[in-house]
Amino acid sequence: MIADSSTAAELPTDYFALLRALQRRAGAVRQPASGAFELTDRCNLSCQMCYIRHPANNAARRQKELSASEWLALAQDAVDNGMVFLLLTGGEVFVRPDFFEIYSPLTRMGLILTLFTNGTLVTDRIAERLAEAPPGLTQITIYGATAATYEAVTGVPGSYARCCAGIEALLKQRIPFDLRTTITQQNFGELEAMRQMAHNWGLPFSGAWMLMQRRDGNPSNVDNCRLSAQDCVSLEAADRASADEWIETASRDLSARSDSNFNCQAGRSIFVVNSFGQMNLCVNLSKPAARPLNIGFRAAWEALQRFVDEAPPPAPGCLACDAQKFCPRCPAWSSVETGTLTEPVPYLCNIACMRKERYQGIVT
Amino acid sequence: MSKSEFVLRNIGGEYLLVPIGARVPGVDGLIVLNDTARYVWDLLEQGHSLDEMATAVTERFDVSYEQARADILAFQESIG
Repeated sequence: MIADSSTAAELPTDYFALLRALQRRAGAVRQPASGAFELTDRCNLSCQMCYIRHPANNAARRQKELSASEWLALAQDAVDNGMVFLLLTGGEVFVRPDFFEIYSPLTRMGLILTLFTNGTLVTDRIAERLAEAPPGLTQITIYGATAATYEAVTGVPGSYARCCAGIEALLKQRIPFDLRTTITQQNFGELEAMRQMAHNWGLPFSGAWMLMQRRDGNPSNVDNCRLSAQDCVSLEAADRASADEWIETASRDLSARSDSNFNCQAGRSIFVVNSFGQMNLCVNLSKPAARPLNIGFRAAWEALQRFVDEAPPPAPGCLACDAQKFCPRCPAWSSVETGTLTEPVPYLCNIACMRKERYQGIVT
Repeated sequence: MSKSEFVLRNIGGEYLLVPIGARVPGVDGLIVLNDTARYVWDLLEQGHSLDEMATAVTERFDVSYEQARADILAFQESIG
């Protein structure tokens, strides 16, 4: 590569570190570089812990979803305003029969696309069409290493076999993709078996286990699915990248606390548009529900920025907490668990205290 | 190289070449352009020959003609 003293030379080379660095640079100039389009909130599975899911056959919700042409108009406006990365997610994106009417034009807009799916609706034909212009990254979430466990989580008989068939279809088309899992009490015991499944297919594997309540306030069974705080901290300690992150956090100056409530890139370089066309700060925080198709992308993006900039600081108890820097609380967590943007979330308080106990002691 | 297989995008002041369509699987990671590569990309778009580009790069940046030529070839190969 041609070498000179440009700023590009100072960027990290690791892919995910590079992504984060680019997002920070975009955030510094408030460029809406990373978007997520929730094409639908309907899904063909019915996972008990899901924060969003409505039944795939919910006609009323389907009717309120943006049409393909509306998604494309919105995407072009977002690109014109600086969107470079776009995640397509759901619900389950493939419950939309017009998925490729949206997807195919997006592949010609100069976007780095990511696709989230449960894989159960991926047929050979869908894999072939994706292969014509595949996303930069596709992630399939799996819920168990056996049909019994997988289907105990998803609630749908036959879904395990359909997921495996979807994975095989993508492999056959050489489409790059990862496997991930949402770890719950129901499938925790199969975590290593799922990792082995991914290994057998030659696929990268990762897991997530911080389960939130539904964002619409409707009841879910998340309390019976969440790992205990102790299990969460043990799990992340066993993962080298997570452990390193917390050791680094623990090494920072304890006095360097922030009273900023939003400590992520939401409203700085990141936005989400839900299936009804409302622009929000993240998938878990349905605010400020700006309407880019009515007021224009730029005005909606400015509404997000204002929301972040004017957000109240965390509760005094959080600011005074000596485990604050180990705490994953954010306005989205507070919103879905307490109905505020600021109040502590007891589940996370336990996790923060256990992290502090584990990591602070090992740092000199 | 087919330039139509890439789109030049800016993110936070950095320039990226984004592969599109069937070109996506052949690109590993992100292509972030430094100042010189950004300049060469413009020259490529204008249809200059390798020798013309190497001369232009030598005039603008502190690099020998041979090095510029080799670097441009490597750049073309990476997106070719």
